[in-house]
Amino acid sequence: MLDAFIDGLFLVLQWKAFSLMLVGMGLGFCVGLLPGIGGAATLALMIPFVFKMNPAEAFAFLLGMHAVAATTGDITSILFGVPGEGLSAATVVDGYPMAKNGEAGRALGAALMSSLVGALIGAVALALAIPIVRPLVLTFGSPELFLLSMIGIACITSLSGLSVRGQIRGFAMGLFGLLLSTIGQERQSGSIRFDMGLMYLWEGLDLVPVLVGVFAIPELVDLAVRGTSIAGDRRAENLNHGVMEGIKDTFRHFWLVFRCSAVGVFVGIMPGAGGGVAQWMAYAHAVQSAADSKDRERFGKGDVRGVLGPGAANNSKEGGDLVPTIAFGVPGSGAMAILLGGFMIMGLVPGPDMLSKHLAVTYSMVWTLVIANIITVVLSLAVLNQLAKVTYIRGSLIIPFVLLLVFVGSYTANGQLADLIVTFFFGVLGYFMVLLGWPRPPLVLGFVLGKLVETYLFISVSRYGFAWLTHPIVVVLTLLMVFVIVYPFVREKPAWAGGGD
Amino acid sequence: MKSRGHLYFSAFLLLVSGFAIVSGSQWPFKTGFFPLAVAIPLSILILVHVYLESFGAPEISKGPAVEAAFSGEVPPEVARRRAITIFSWIAGFILFVCLIGFPLTVPLFIFSYLKYQSRASLLQSFVLTAVTWCAFYLLFQRLVHIQFEAGAIQTWLGL
Repeated sequence: MLDAFIDGLFLVLQWKAFSLMLVGMGLGFCVGLLPGIGGAATLALMIPFVFKMNPAEAFAFLLGMHAVAATTGDITSILFGVPGEGLSAATVVDGYPMAKNGEAGRALGAALMSSLVGALIGAVALALAIPIVRPLVLTFGSPELFLLSMIGIACITSLSGLSVRGQIRGFAMGLFGLLLSTIGQERQSGSIRFDMGLMYLWEGLDLVPVLVGVFAIPELVDLAVRGTSIAGDRRAENLNHGVMEGIKDTFRHFWLVFRCSAVGVFVGIMPGAGGGVAQWMAYAHAVQSAADSKDRERFGKGDVRGVLGPGAANNSKEGGDLVPTIAFGVPGSGAMAILLGGFMIMGLVPGPDMLSKHLAVTYSMVWTLVIANIITVVLSLAVLNQLAKVTYIRGSLIIPFVLLLVFVGSYTANGQLADLIVTFFFGVLGYFMVLLGWPRPPLVLGFVLGKLVETYLFISVSRYGFAWLTHPIVVVLTLLMVFVIVYPFVREKPAWAGGGD
Repeated sequence: MKSRGHLYFSAFLLLVSGFAIVSGSQWPFKTGFFPLAVAIPLSILILVHVYLESFGAPEISKGPAVEAAFSGEVPPEVARRRAITIFSWIAGFILFVCLIGFPLTVPLFIFSYLKYQSRASLLQSFVLTAVTWCAFYLLFQRLVHIQFEAGAIQTWLGL
C-alpha cells in the first residue's frame, strides 16, 4: 500500500502529467473566477481532450482543474459579492462584508489558506477512507439522504434570527426555495409543472441565474447607492499584513477549520448530497460555534470564521466526493459523474480494481488534489495584494464590469436570453429580501436541494410507505434536525424569553 | 414602513404558494405531492407571519440573523433614487442585449456607463471599453466559443 502511495506521487510528478496538471489548473483558475461556467461544465468540456492521455495524466489534468476552480471561486465572492462557483455562495455572506470593511486581503488569505487545509484534510480522508467507507455509504438510503438534506436546510434556516418572526421568515424562505425547484419537468412522471406556457421553464430554473441574481445584484445596487468604493471611505489596510492575518486566522481557528473540513468530507462521501450542503452546513456550524449571542452577531457582518468554515468544507468535499466515485462508481456530485466518464474513457472500472490493481492511479488522484491546491494557494498569495486593491477603486468604475461578468455568467448557464430576465427578476427579489430582512441563504439552499429532496422523499414513500420514518438512522437524523433548530433558542433563552415575540 | 414592506412581501409569497396549491391539487399525486407538501406549510407560515406583523407586539427580540444588510449611510430618498437608476441601467442592458445582441451591447453599455454614469473622462471610457471588449471577444467568443444569440434587430434584418 505504501509502495502504491509513493508510486502515485511519482505518477503525478512525471513531466507530462505535471504539465497537464498545470494547464488544467490555469483553466480552473479562470473558470473559478467566472460566475456561470462551473467546474462541472468545464470538466465536461475537457473530457474529449483526455482520449490520448494515460490515466495518471488525464486525472492530473481533470482533477487539477476541478480542485482549483473550487478554490478560486472564493475570490470573486469576496471581492465583489458575486459567487464565482455555485458553491461559493456561503463565502459571500461574510467574505464580501469583510471586503466592505477594508479587510479584503485578510478574507482572501483566510479563504485560500482554509481551502488548502480543507483540501489536504479531504485528500487524507480519501486516502484513509477508501477501505473502510463501504458500510457507511451502504447504510444511507433515500430516507437517510432525505433527512441529511433537510438537516442542511434546517442548519441554515436556524440562523435567521432568534425571534419567532425571524425563524418563520427563515423557514418560509427555505420552503420558497424548495417550491422554486419544482418548476419544470417532474422527474418521476415527466409531467411539466409551473411552466406558465414557456418552453424555457420546462428544464426548470437554472442555479446560476438564480444564485447570481439573488446575491450579486443587491450588492451591486448597494455599491451604486453608497457611491463609494467597495471598501467605502475606510483607509486602505496594509494589504500584505491583511493577507498574513487571514493565513494566521486559519491556524488561530484551526479546530473550527478542521471540524468544517470534516463536515465537507462527510457530505462529500454521501452520494448525491451535493456540495452546496457541505458549505452551508459548515457555515451554520461556524455560526453555532460562536461563544455567545454577542459573538454570533458578528456573523454576516464580516467575521473571518464565516469565511474559514465554508472555504475549508468546499475543498475537503472534493476528497470526500471521490470516495464513492472511486470505490463504488457512485458519483458524489455532478462533477464526479462527469469524472466517471473519464474513468470509462481510460478503460478503468471504478470499484475493487481501483483499490487493488490500479491503486497507484487512485493515490495519484490524492496527490493531484494536494499538489494542485498547494501550487494554487502559493501562486494566489503572490497576487492577492493586487487583487485586494480592487476594493479601493471607485465603485462606479467597477459596476459595469461586474454587471457584465454577472450577465455573461448567467447567459452561459443555458445560452438563452431568458436567463438574463431570470437574473434580473431574482436580483430585484434579492434586493427586497435584503431591504426587508428576509434571509437569502435558506432560499438558495432550498432551491439547490429541492430536486434531490423531492427524489429522495418520493423514493422513500414509494419504497417504504411511511415506515421509513421509523428507521433508526432516520430517527437519529430527525432528532439531530430538531436539535439544530432548537439549540440556538435554548442557548440564547435569556435574550428572547422576555421579548414580544 | 418596514412592517408594511413585510406585509407586501408576505402577500407576494402567499400569492405564489396559493397558486402552487391550486395547481398542485389539480395534478396527479406523483406530480403534485411535493409542491403541495411545500406550498401548504409555506402558506401557513406566511399567514402566521402576517398575523404577527398585523396584531402581534413589535418585534423586539430579534437575535442575530446571519444576513447582509444595506449600508444606512445614505439618506433613504437618495438611496431610492440611486437604486432606481442602477436598476434602470440593468434593465437597459438586458433590453439592448435582446435588441442588438451581446457583442454590440457590451462596448455600448460599458462606454455609456463609464461616460455618463461614472463621469469618467472620454479617454478613460474609451480605453476601458476597448480593453473590455477585447477581453470579452477573446475569452468568451474565441476561447470558450460561447454562441451569443443574435439580437432581434439583426434577426429582423436577416443579418
